[in-house]
Amino acid sequence: MTRTDGLPNRRGHGRARRVFPHLPMVAWLWLLWLLLWGSTSALVLTGGLLVAVAVVLAFRLPAVRPGTVPRPLGVVRLLIHLLTDLVTSALTVAWQVVRHGGRTTSAIIEVPLDVDGDLLITAVAELTNVGPGNLVTEIDRRRRRLYVHALPAGGPQDIARRRSEVKAVERRVVQALGRRSEDTGGDTGGEADDRGRNP
Amino acid sequence: MTVVLDVITAVLFLGGASFCLLGALGLLRFPDTMSRLHAAAKAQTLGLLLILVGAAVQMSPNLAPVLLLVALFQLLTAPITSQIIGRTAYRTHGLERHLLLRDELADRLEHEGSPVHRRTDHSDRRERDDEDTEDTEDAEDAEDAEDAEDAEDAER
Repeated sequence: MTRTDGLPNRRGHGRARRVFPHLPMVAWLWLLWLLLWGSTSALVLTGGLLVAVAVVLAFRLPAVRPGTVPRPLGVVRLLIHLLTDLVTSALTVAWQVVRHGGRTTSAIIEVPLDVDGDLLITAVAELTNVGPGNLVTEIDRRRRRLYVHALPAGGPQDIARRRSEVKAVERRVVQALGRRSEDTGGDTGGEADDRGRNP
Repeated sequence: MTVVLDVITAVLFLGGASFCLLGALGLLRFPDTMSRLHAAAKAQTLGLLLILVGAAVQMSPNLAPVLLLVALFQLLTAPITSQIIGRTAYRTHGLERHLLLRDELADRLEHEGSPVHRRTDHSDRRERDDEDTEDTEDAEDAEDAEDAEDAEDAER
């Protein structure tokens, strides 16, 4: 029974390093399972754990590490803005539907980003999509640019306003999650350092 | 107390339903795929959320987590799908370009020598359908050009 004690130390560490990054995903899937069943009986608990492990093993995804520690205050502010954005964006679109219909105006705007990191750019793009009047058309990951389809865009002042809105979303993401995460792809790492400081 | 709750639910349900209706109306009235995505993604999401809150008021608290999950996944997935559809629409002429005030993505692609749209927007629809495959190639060319430019940047 004490065979595991005799294993070489290094091998144990290697396994821990392989398994550890996937634990958050297993925990999340397990929690999801419990919530969906709405009970914590022994059968649901063990079944959920088995399913979670099976799913993580079957669909091997790279472990996503945020790299930075999320700041609680920033995250709360982000969520509050998310909710208000949801309401205002629905109202904006509804007004466009009712008032302008087929004659609505739009534009595609380029927005250069300061943040670097897959997770952060994803967050900015996602939150921009929730925000009023903006829809991300194209993400240029390497050059860190978003191309945003802005729905009511009557003139140049509208375009400037939309761009500043996306930058505001980015600022809030930075306040919540930090400017740069560690999980950037290997090919962009050096380049990002060269360009990161440009305003 | 139940009357108050019923009124809250009624208001939220009706509000949510009207946002869903407006979203559907937007799908009909807006001129192109990209604009329609706005209606589908935004008005619809808020409509669903209002209905979920209205339902949560009526139901026993231990069902609230499930409603929360529905809301969470709606918020996570709707923006992502609309981004993917929008990207595809842009590359396959799901966009009425003459209605755009400005198109900085096309400007960039043109600047790199591989415009997404070569023909004017007044050509008829069948013609444009025929072009679709060709334009996808153009998009790939654009990415290649981008690669080249990035390589140059890296050298500098």
